[in-house]
Amino acid sequence: MSVTVRIPQPLRRFTENRDMIELSARTVGELLEQLGRQYPGITERLCEPDGQLRRFVNIYVDGEDIRFLSGLATELEDGMEVSIIPAIAGGNEHAPSL
Amino acid sequence: MDWEKYSRQILFRGIGKAGQERLLQSRVLIIGCGALGAAQAEMLARAGVGFLRLVDRDFVEESNLQRQIMFEERDAAERLPKAIACARRVARINADVRAEAVVADVNYKNIEQLIADVDVVLDGTDNFETRYLINDACVKHGKPWIYGAAVGSYGLTMTIRPGVTPCLRCVFEKIPPPASSPTCDTAGILLPVILTVASIQVTEALKLLTGCIEKLHGGLIQVDVWEASFHRVSLQKGRASAKCPACQHRRFEFLEASVRQSALTLCGRNAVHISSLGDVSLDLREIAERLKLLGEVTLKEFLLVFRVNGYELNLFPDGHCIVKGTEDMALARSLYARYIGI
Repeated sequence: MSVTVRIPQPLRRFTENRDMIELSARTVGELLEQLGRQYPGITERLCEPDGQLRRFVNIYVDGEDIRFLSGLATELEDGMEVSIIPAIAGGNEHAPSL
Repeated sequence: MDWEKYSRQILFRGIGKAGQERLLQSRVLIIGCGALGAAQAEMLARAGVGFLRLVDRDFVEESNLQRQIMFEERDAAERLPKAIACARRVARINADVRAEAVVADVNYKNIEQLIADVDVVLDGTDNFETRYLINDACVKHGKPWIYGAAVGSYGLTMTIRPGVTPCLRCVFEKIPPPASSPTCDTAGILLPVILTVASIQVTEALKLLTGCIEKLHGGLIQVDVWEASFHRVSLQKGRASAKCPACQHRRFEFLEASVRQSALTLCGRNAVHISSLGDVSLDLREIAERLKLLGEVTLKEFLLVFRVNGYELNLFPDGHCIVKGTEDMALARSLYARYIGI
């Protein structure tokens, strides 16, 4: 299934600065694997070592939070849009760079 | 009342005369008077929101001026507390608005009192710990609040109405650990994205205050001013997370002892913030006299600056202090203990 993934600015340094990526996958989990293969480093930002989505990162499929669908097993259909939205703090909060 | 001042806003159908009357009677709390908070205060003051409580623990510095639109070079030279500088500017903008400046750290001890008598709370903070504290207090007391954050050219905002929409902890279950999210100190920040996020927050506040509930955007909005993209995902549909400790289980971990803010936090590059230890009101003049013998002292209107051995202690009358020149918490604590000694 060919879907479009929206990459938020804080993660674009992993995607050669691309904000939209076309990928083919059957589920969200498969999509994240493919994204990680194509763009090394991004998976660690999105998932815990056990593969679960980190709890300050949300993924929406056509505007629906996958936690209210089937999580990483959420099935994708042709033409769907997947958005990744990590929490951002802003300001001067001390933290090394992403 | 001089309605002419608000004539263009009254002409706007969504507000009208009745809406303007409500705005003049409204009370808003802005937590954090940095880039977002200052922009919110400026817009709400011009809109004629009757009362603004402006809370911030920091003072104005030169590197703020690129994006913190309420402040000027002389405020930075004077190291004026941001809350005071903001309140003074509000007074110059619109005499109909009463601005109350609170120079303090927002914490579990004062948050409930700060929100108690306002209609809406606006997020102008720069960290998730304070946001989860705001979320706890607002959910507990059923107070609407509006999250906003920006970094680089990217921003996020959502409006939380306890009991109606998901709360912040429904959407972001956990605080991002340090190193997991970029900050303005590492990724920079463009003023236009601040103004975009603040504009959405203020528009939402105007809708809440005038009772136009049906016009609230009801989502999580992502903007990127560099890419000129604007994207909203819906949060309606009663999608509170069943696991949410705050709005579903009414466990307010950030208000209670379970997740307590530490007394010391890193703030920005090469600086440590030390919270006030209690209800104190310091005589800065007296402390200045004592410290003069030990190092270089500058006494400002609301702040004592003390330089010693390459460190700089910025002490506020309520006892909170920003120690510059180190990121070592233990060292900051010992400098505070040695020189301020409270």
